[in-house]
Amino acid sequence: MRPRKGRRTTLLACLVLAAGGAAACGTKTDSGGFRVALITPGSITDAAWNSGAYAGLTEIKDSLHVSVSHMEARTPGEQEEGLRTYAAQGYDLVFGHGFEFQGAAERVGKEYPKTVFIITSGEKAIGNVAPLVFRLDEASYLAGMVAGGMTKTNKIGFVGGIELPPIKLAYEGWKKGAQAVNPRVESRLTYLNNFDDAAAGHEAALALIRVGVDMFHHNADAAGLGVFRAAKENPGVFIFGANADQTPLAPDRVLGSAIIDLPRAFLAVAREVRGGRFVSKVQSFGLKGGVVRYVPNSVLAAPIPAVLIQKVRAAADSIEAGTLIPVPREVANTAQNAPPSKDSATRAKPR
Amino acid sequence: MSWATGTSLLVGGFLASAVRVGTPLLLAATGEMLTERAGVINLGVEGAMLGGALASALGAMSFGVWGGVILGMVAGMCIALVFGAFVVIAKVDQIICGTAITLGVVGLTGTAYRQTFGAAGPGLSIPTFASLPVPALHDLPVLGPALFTQPLLTYFAFLAIPVTWWMLFRTHWGLSVRATGESSEAARAAGIRTRGLQLFVTVIGGGFAGLAGATLVLAQVGTFAERMTAGRGFIAIAIVVLGRWHPVGVLIASLLFGVATALQFLFQALGLAVPYQLFLMLPYVLALVALAGAVGRVRAPAGLGK
Repeated sequence: MRPRKGRRTTLLACLVLAAGGAAACGTKTDSGGFRVALITPGSITDAAWNSGAYAGLTEIKDSLHVSVSHMEARTPGEQEEGLRTYAAQGYDLVFGHGFEFQGAAERVGKEYPKTVFIITSGEKAIGNVAPLVFRLDEASYLAGMVAGGMTKTNKIGFVGGIELPPIKLAYEGWKKGAQAVNPRVESRLTYLNNFDDAAAGHEAALALIRVGVDMFHHNADAAGLGVFRAAKENPGVFIFGANADQTPLAPDRVLGSAIIDLPRAFLAVAREVRGGRFVSKVQSFGLKGGVVRYVPNSVLAAPIPAVLIQKVRAAADSIEAGTLIPVPREVANTAQNAPPSKDSATRAKPR
Repeated sequence: MSWATGTSLLVGGFLASAVRVGTPLLLAATGEMLTERAGVINLGVEGAMLGGALASALGAMSFGVWGGVILGMVAGMCIALVFGAFVVIAKVDQIICGTAITLGVVGLTGTAYRQTFGAAGPGLSIPTFASLPVPALHDLPVLGPALFTQPLLTYFAFLAIPVTWWMLFRTHWGLSVRATGESSEAARAAGIRTRGLQLFVTVIGGGFAGLAGATLVLAQVGTFAERMTAGRGFIAIAIVVLGRWHPVGVLIASLLFGVATALQFLFQALGLAVPYQLFLMLPYVLALVALAGAVGRVRAPAGLGK
């Protein structure tokens, strides 16, 4: 009995590993030479942060005709292991898609100097590790302006996944935008501590609706789907999408989306690395250059007053011109990061 | 709106939220309690829930909400059957097998979901259950909107409690289940076909778990998201312990979790100047406190996990 039992357990474990691993398989087209990998901290079916990155990877594959691979890694241990695995296999460029990869990339980067590690929403450039910073707060500031002008209850709500610096920044932008057009607006914030639990997102949004919130923004990836659901169920409640244009999720309730054009940024970086023009620095993308944008839902444009639209346009121009900074970095980001190095400020934005 | 109506709406909404959060937990925990009463601890309940959630989403898209309910249950039963076959017939270690099943289903649902919908996802196009007001009772102040204006699956979850109690403690079948859970050797000596019974009860438990997953999709979110069960299956296992392997205890424990979670969301929504992490901890702290003190001596079925 004993030995049989052991063998069965091993067999079972293999079976399960095979099934579990299937979700993490990537696409590979063999063209030799340059290879690019992406590690996402969550599912690429979230219609937001992670799906955008995957679209970026696909864009790189299609435009540059290079071989690519994708992996999903949720825990810090898996994330570091993922970076190390790709580097050991000789990948030239590895994207760690999120702030949470910064520390791991710094450790792995020292061991594999030939690989370039790009950390989206990372915080500092060290050697072959460089962050792409997206000033999503500039777009969420504009979304907040619309919300502040359109709210009937003077209460706006934000549902966040986990309290990470980029998510805090997006929230600050949203709040300040609303306060800029409506000083009486009250802002509420709920964290789910999770990016997958759509039912929790739903429940959190319903709780906010009960206390009077009628304008929503989120940054909770797949869990954010529940917030859209709550808006759809409650008349007079509207929502602003995050990271991607999320209008299709609820076309009659989404007033607009604060988006990051991840494919564009990813492709630009991949071109630089392949062309040998890559310089390790903090690359920051905002409204200027169009990687970060506020995309209104044209179907719901009618009830928005022209004066408000004017104000939003003016604010967008000021942000692009650099005269309006929605969230000064030293206020929102209390992390230890030094101010961005000089060349990051002066170098032209890649196209 | 007067202050009083405002408050009663807030309280009613809060209670409704607690019941909504508690329902999937109650369903999963009821199934798990049955399974554990027969001496089998199924850590695959999280997997069965997740499988049920995906199957219910696919079923609802093709055949409407009832198709979703049935497919969700069937998926949960199939997953539990695999677990049961390994554990009851092949006598594989229950903890290892249950964990493996859950991990396996996480991968399988993710793969199946991406194969079906691609990276875009189904959006929010899945048909869902509307809430069904109970005649007369739903007019009650505060309690009416909270308890008697819920989706059909919620009433089913609550009705399952007295039924389960009756089955376990007032039928010969229930006696056999409990006897098997205490000592399968003794039960077998008494002429009970313990393996068949354990397998059957495990599959029924899986059906409950599948239904719990279906509730998340069809009565709450209206879409599937990978890993959307987010540990509810493991909370259900804790609820069984907290509820002392008794249907009424499981009901109370599920509602306790529902209340704590709803309270957590309400506190955050009210914008209280207290760190939100404290609120997020609330359900778990309550469970620990209840386990440590109030419930007294906890005794598991003697043959559990063997």
